[in-house]
Amino acid sequence: MYRKILTAVNEHLNSEIAARYAMNLARAAGAKLYLCFVAGKGRQVAIFDRAEEAIKRIFIDAKKMAIDIEAITETGDPVKKISEIVRHEEIDIVFAATRREDVEKRFYAGTVARDLSLALPCSVALVRVVHMGRIHPKKILVPLKARIDHLTERSYFSAAMANAFGSNIYLLHATKPITSFFHGEVHLTPVEWEKKMSKDISYFMEHLNKYKIIHEKRLIPGKAGRSITIEAAAKRFDLVIMGASERSLLSSIFKGNPVEVVLRETPCDLIILKPRHEDK
Amino acid sequence: MKINSLSTDEVFQSLVTSADGLSEEEAKRRLAEFGYNEIEEIKKKPLIFKFLSQLTHFLAILLWVAALFSFLSEYIHPGEGMLTLGLAIVGVIFINAIFAFIQEYRVEKALAAMKKLLPFYVRVLRNGKETEIFAREVVPGDVATLMEGDKVPADIRIIETNEIKVNNAPLTGESEPVGRTKEPFSGELINSQNIAFAGTMVVSGSAKGVIFSTGMRTEFGRIAHLTGTVTPGISPLQKEITRITRVVTAIAVTTGLLFFSIGYLIGRTFWENFLFAIGIILANVPEGLLPTVTLSLAMGSQRMAKRKALIKNLTSVETLGSVSVICTDKTGTLTQNKMEVKKVAGLCDNATEKVQGISLFHSALLCNNTKEVEGNLKGEPTEVALYKAAADSIGHIENKRLKEFPFDSDRKRMSTINSMRDTTYVLAKGAPESILQISRHCFRGKDIVPFNTSMEEKSVELYHSLMDQGLRVLAFAYKEVKSDEMIASKEDAERDMIFMGFIGLEDPPRPEVAEAIQKCREAGIRIIMITGDSSRTAAAIAKEIGLIKEKATIVEGAEFLKMSDAELRDVLSDKEIIFSRMTPKHKLRVVNILKEQGERVAVTGDGVNDAPALKRADIGVSMGTGTDVAKEAADMILLDDNFATIVNAIEEGRAIFENIKKFIIYIFAHLTAEAVPYILFILARIPLPLTVMQILAIDLGTETIPALGLGVEPPEAAIMKQPPRPKGKGLIDRKVLFKGYIFLGLIGTIGVLFAYFFVLNKGGWRWGVELPINDPLVYQASTATFLGIVMMQIGNVFACRTQTESIFKIGIFGNRLILWGILAEILLSAFIIYHPWGNKIFSTASIPLSVWLLLIPFMFMVFFAEEVRKFLARYREVILTIDNSQLKE
Repeated sequence: MYRKILTAVNEHLNSEIAARYAMNLARAAGAKLYLCFVAGKGRQVAIFDRAEEAIKRIFIDAKKMAIDIEAITETGDPVKKISEIVRHEEIDIVFAATRREDVEKRFYAGTVARDLSLALPCSVALVRVVHMGRIHPKKILVPLKARIDHLTERSYFSAAMANAFGSNIYLLHATKPITSFFHGEVHLTPVEWEKKMSKDISYFMEHLNKYKIIHEKRLIPGKAGRSITIEAAAKRFDLVIMGASERSLLSSIFKGNPVEVVLRETPCDLIILKPRHEDK
Repeated sequence: MKINSLSTDEVFQSLVTSADGLSEEEAKRRLAEFGYNEIEEIKKKPLIFKFLSQLTHFLAILLWVAALFSFLSEYIHPGEGMLTLGLAIVGVIFINAIFAFIQEYRVEKALAAMKKLLPFYVRVLRNGKETEIFAREVVPGDVATLMEGDKVPADIRIIETNEIKVNNAPLTGESEPVGRTKEPFSGELINSQNIAFAGTMVVSGSAKGVIFSTGMRTEFGRIAHLTGTVTPGISPLQKEITRITRVVTAIAVTTGLLFFSIGYLIGRTFWENFLFAIGIILANVPEGLLPTVTLSLAMGSQRMAKRKALIKNLTSVETLGSVSVICTDKTGTLTQNKMEVKKVAGLCDNATEKVQGISLFHSALLCNNTKEVEGNLKGEPTEVALYKAAADSIGHIENKRLKEFPFDSDRKRMSTINSMRDTTYVLAKGAPESILQISRHCFRGKDIVPFNTSMEEKSVELYHSLMDQGLRVLAFAYKEVKSDEMIASKEDAERDMIFMGFIGLEDPPRPEVAEAIQKCREAGIRIIMITGDSSRTAAAIAKEIGLIKEKATIVEGAEFLKMSDAELRDVLSDKEIIFSRMTPKHKLRVVNILKEQGERVAVTGDGVNDAPALKRADIGVSMGTGTDVAKEAADMILLDDNFATIVNAIEEGRAIFENIKKFIIYIFAHLTAEAVPYILFILARIPLPLTVMQILAIDLGTETIPALGLGVEPPEAAIMKQPPRPKGKGLIDRKVLFKGYIFLGLIGTIGVLFAYFFVLNKGGWRWGVELPINDPLVYQASTATFLGIVMMQIGNVFACRTQTESIFKIGIFGNRLILWGILAEILLSAFIIYHPWGNKIFSTASIPLSVWLLLIPFMFMVFFAEEVRKFLARYREVILTIDNSQLKE
């Protein structure tokens, strides 16, 4: 599915870490890796140098892994330039690191990361780097909604990442607690919850089986965002892979946004995938 | 692959840093990206919203609506006292809200306690120079220097070490200092010896390391995150009260609307019907329930404090009563934590004899960190016991300690190099399997002989037999060396040792524990022991205290880690379970799965790492001697660290549930007496029998203290002989409804109506005559109704004191609070009836003594009717027991 992977690199350390994830995915998928640095106008030379150094380091690592790699350096508006490269090179997926300031603003209120995920015609993986000690994730947490769009690509991406690092996948579905007017929250046993597992999650698991990825599943009642961060912290997950939010700004303000919650509170690195490959 | 498995160069490469550290500029950029190195508070609902939510829950909204209608009514029909009523209802809403808000606010303290544990300054390399900065400003990639006495500022991968030892107690609960190395380690990050964790303390030595994780992403932050985000859930009592208020309110609103419609159909005016509807709703809504429950729980918690159990969250008092599983530590909770040397054993008869000038007691005395301070021995209890036994036996020995290789949980041993009488010795002590592994020779009589397979087998048998007696067993070994300088590492020191023997230490069980465990068995409560000790020692102690009788399931820490959730779920459904060689951090998983299985779990703990499990459990129990964070996260603190205190608290909790049930029946009984006259008012067109303010005076005034008196009734004899309350079995069932509304309620209503009609009749009223609402006779009649309800409730409060026992058996005047409550009830009633202020506020009028006297026989009727019912219930129980025993025969 992924033959060409592009990763955006800049002077910040987190972009280099995001590039390492892209590099490992490229190795697992046998894809070509494009390292791309777009310097905004008026940038200092020092920034340029730092980005160049980062590219060099990744280049050396990629060569050691025998990955087909190409570096591209441009100047101008990052979103516009990357968009042009994606169209020209027919890139399948772009990796970009989110910044702390993206999280501190509202994530979905006009950030570069948001612009990239909206403007690019390919899939986008936004990487939030928070923990530098877990270099190769061994335990990946994949939270799922009951209805999963782009199921094939999502399962492929999760499987490919697990494959790249030899990791196990833990699927998590946080659902609204069942309540009744007179009894309040109704307690269900894990077996009873099992029966409420959606078809899409079952399909997702079938895909993982097809890719021979070891996985476990867990269904818990509670608010999605908070449940994901608690699970990730309690069980020491190394990486969380979740889908991009489809909630509008208004709906996020009133109903909350699980992706924003996880972005803010994640105890481990996080990849937010915005898939574009349609299910066949 | 994680940071702990990399070489030093790879660590630099991975974190994009160097031996010279980061540049100031890069550090600034990373600070902007990773944020300050501090424990952040998880974004929570602001306090004001929390308070507002207490004003907007279901019952509060209903009361707001009632208050709004009262104000509206005052606006349209001024001077009918509706303003006072509206204000009274608003007062009730605020009192309830403040009670609930204070409880929530206390939970916020746990995180603040954690913040205090983080350090302030740290030495890091910036641009190749050592500089001291605020700990909150360190970033991943910084190279930091750690010295003795420092608190570790972040999670650090050690790259250079000079015999550094850290105390991980704030993180793992293990008080023994552990050494750190720089060597790569391929296991889990948390078990890695090349990591110094944030919040821990450098006890000795120094080191240099690269910071790889800061703030909330450190291991310390992870615990803070869990402590801050684990939602404690709603307590069973809160759920039950919510259910009751909704059920009763639904009944009240339906009844109100029904009679409003009937009144409209039979031609009553809108405002008459409206007043009636408000009255019937307020008469049925248990406004007094929440404050009475809260006050009763507060009094319950005071009683528990007297029994050495300090309750932090009020609702936990009742939750205790529904506990079905207790996960308990062993040392200090089931046992006394008073270590004493009980047995010394070796491969020959006299294990304490000297061989070549040294005995097992030399190792016990010198390979030991106990210190004598002003005549007292200070140190870890096991070491103190060894020191004492050895010193008593061989006295003090002139020696010099040259080196120490401290204890760590992987080697499970410690060793020291000491010089004595011109000879240098390596002395070691540790877990038997660990010491036997490094021994090549052993004591045999007065000789040292090679350690062969049969001797090894005999040694294993020997220490197993000691463990089977419930003893904590340590093994000792030594060897002579030419000089300490020849020994570069602990591997060199601990090679080819001479095995000396074993010492078995006893930590005697607390005397009251066996009885408490038996009580738990009778009460259907499972006890799961979670201990760091070996499985044999744990099983032996468990047998001694009666914790295991049949074949128990014993799970060791290593096995536990390999288990999937499904496997663990299977294990946890067994009747008798012991988890051995466990660390506090594993408790959260056990608690989570037990809760998923529908159990109500109490868990004990004292370390920082216990905090998430304590918070997640239905009842977190911290030891009085535990860390502040554990105490903050717990719902209950045991002032005496004693397991039996938990069982006492459960007994109190069960009693409180039963007591709440008693005062619900007590409240329901007056609801009938309040509602029936109203129904007659609308259907039979009698004069207004009771005003809404009089209803509030009863619900929130006269009967509050007697109701509280029911809350302090001691546990009935059979309370710990019943299984835990099944999930779903609430405070209200058909029996409660029948007893409250129908049985006691209707008997009381007869008395109330009798007084009401007596006054009307005496005042010259005839059936069918309509009296204006402000007629003095109407005031007197409604006052008689009010007094009637008060008097019936005096009979009721005695009737409700027990479920099946006769009141004469427990002593009719045994509950002083009820007696004081009745006195207060009578005085308040007298004020309402005879004082002009009372008359004005509550629309009452003075009534003659004859009405009081008339009501007394009815009061006794309520009480004796219930005594007859209890007698019949006891009789039925006896018959059933006889039938059952005959069936068994």
